[in-house]
Amino acid sequence: MPISRLPMLGRRFLMLGGAAAFSATGLRPVPAVARAADSAVSGGSTIRLIARPGRAALAGPPHSEPETTVWGYDGRVPGPEIRVRQGERLRVVLENRLPEETTIHWHGLRVPNAMDGVPHLTQPPIAPGESFAYEFDATDAGTYWYHPHVRSFEQVERGLYGPLVIEERELPRTIDRDVTWVLDDWRLLEDAQIAGGFGNAMEAGMTGRVGNTVTVNGRVTDGGFAVRSGERLRLRLVNAANARIFGLVFEGHEPVVVALDGQPVTPHAPEDGRVVVGPGMRVDLVLDMTGRPGARARVLDTYYAKLEYRLLEIAYGAEPLRDRPPTAPIPTLPANPVPEPNLARAERHAVVLGGGMMNHLEGALVDGRWLDAREMMRRGLIWTVNGTAAAPGVHVHEPLAVLRRGASYLLEIRNETAWPHPMHLHGHSFRVIARNGVPTRHREWQDTVLIPRRESVEIAFVADNPGDWMFHCHVLEHQAAGMMGLVRVA
Amino acid sequence: MMPTTRRATFRAVLAATAAAVPLTRPVRAAAAQPPAASREATLYKNPQCDCCEGYAAYLRENGYEVRVLPSHDLALISRQQQVPPTLEGCHITMVDGYTVVGHVPIGPVNRLLAERPDIRGISLPGMPMGSPGMGGPKAAPFTIYTIPRDPAAEPAVYAVE
Repeated sequence: MPISRLPMLGRRFLMLGGAAAFSATGLRPVPAVARAADSAVSGGSTIRLIARPGRAALAGPPHSEPETTVWGYDGRVPGPEIRVRQGERLRVVLENRLPEETTIHWHGLRVPNAMDGVPHLTQPPIAPGESFAYEFDATDAGTYWYHPHVRSFEQVERGLYGPLVIEERELPRTIDRDVTWVLDDWRLLEDAQIAGGFGNAMEAGMTGRVGNTVTVNGRVTDGGFAVRSGERLRLRLVNAANARIFGLVFEGHEPVVVALDGQPVTPHAPEDGRVVVGPGMRVDLVLDMTGRPGARARVLDTYYAKLEYRLLEIAYGAEPLRDRPPTAPIPTLPANPVPEPNLARAERHAVVLGGGMMNHLEGALVDGRWLDAREMMRRGLIWTVNGTAAAPGVHVHEPLAVLRRGASYLLEIRNETAWPHPMHLHGHSFRVIARNGVPTRHREWQDTVLIPRRESVEIAFVADNPGDWMFHCHVLEHQAAGMMGLVRVA
Repeated sequence: MMPTTRRATFRAVLAATAAAVPLTRPVRAAAAQPPAASREATLYKNPQCDCCEGYAAYLRENGYEVRVLPSHDLALISRQQQVPPTLEGCHITMVDGYTVVGHVPIGPVNRLLAERPDIRGISLPGMPMGSPGMGGPKAAPFTIYTIPRDPAAEPAVYAVE
């Protein structure tokens, strides 16, 4: 079995580490790193991943001690960045060296059902000591990620996640550098260890578990992110946090959104200049580095009022790359082969999200039995999808809907709760065609749609991928507390 | 103020919490009624929850000076204050050496501060309808529990309102 090293990992650490070294010693920053294509995992080779405990210096120097005990792919946080070219076949063998069962879900990729990584539903969970081979074609270019689907509220929280980039067949021109930022937060105690209390019932009924320490690619980035004047970056944001929503502001810069959840979108400025990324979601930006050599600029996260903070600083090196960023327009990425739903003939379904704190809930159907709210709470359930709450840890349910393969569907999802929910559909990308009854401007393709409280969205897609697919909230505590259902494409 | 790193924020939160709540036993006050100067409260709330603001307003109407601090660390603060999981709430009020969890009516709060029992605090769990700050009709009497000083001890009923 051929073994492929994953050189991208080193690249990302070099990026942040290089920036830190620069500010500390006055050395020149590492020059523009190798193009992504140079280090892509070639098609046909096998990637081996080991899910295991490890240690991570989340705070970075000079706060590297003590390290945090994590669970990670190859023991690292984030796991290795997997890069393949669109159309190539990806084969990943996962070995489980955790003390409990696990799987990998390839978030956002339209994979065959048997490769989707949902325990009991699409595969048996991988027991400790066992391995499982995932194999599928990289159909859609874009930014994706991988994570477990077993007790994900704890496994992802402990650090099991990694970015997966599928490069366009032809790389977009005028991009100087392709950078991934995997965003996560951690609830650390004073000894830098991860606090217990995963799935805390009070939090599960509210925002979910939001941490107190935010990392970019597994580090609190004190040293700054090294750039050069005149550079044009493609910045791939991945929100791997259980529950935190990010709202990033790039002071003095004008990011342009070019893809959402991996799928190309008409290049546009984010609303109010703030890039909002809900849990599970990805946003690709093109960022022109318009600052002067030696300048610094803050990247702020302003999502939660009164809890704004500086995520990191952009640090310009002394040597410009060129006088100013390229004047060529920001390239529109080539569309992926996602089938276009026929809206005129689409069958409409209503999906109602209910429950949670600050809301009235009589009860719900759980495994076909009506339970009142008190009995639900006793079982750690507080959320519903169409009046049904998914029993904890159970992924096999009566389907919310049975869809005819190849037909177009329009789901109107109404969030009747007091909390936002990033709703994720497996196996498909869907167009977000309306919000609160108003057509969206970009009709963006997504796999995870953030629905503010008491608001609604309409999504449309072709049910072209046969199998049983999860449809759940990606606030992982909400998912565990009932906000999950199943859609069957037959 | 923009903290420099998340780590700084995190330490600041823990430090603030530790400062607000002395871990030693509260001293028994000689007077039955706490002096007005001690009626300062700090309320930690989930940043996206509205009802907590309603409770802060209620405390203010009842003569307390309330500082509201949104925090992502409520579960951690609860743990630090040894609030049993069944008694956790969407906000935690630190007042005069005691921890008051949830939408506790003013009567039991005033009594707690006047009598100064040897407990950590009190809690009204479950955000019941009709409780202060929650709004809506009151469906049933509110049962307020003690948060015992000994984490192994069973919470007792402190008041029924």
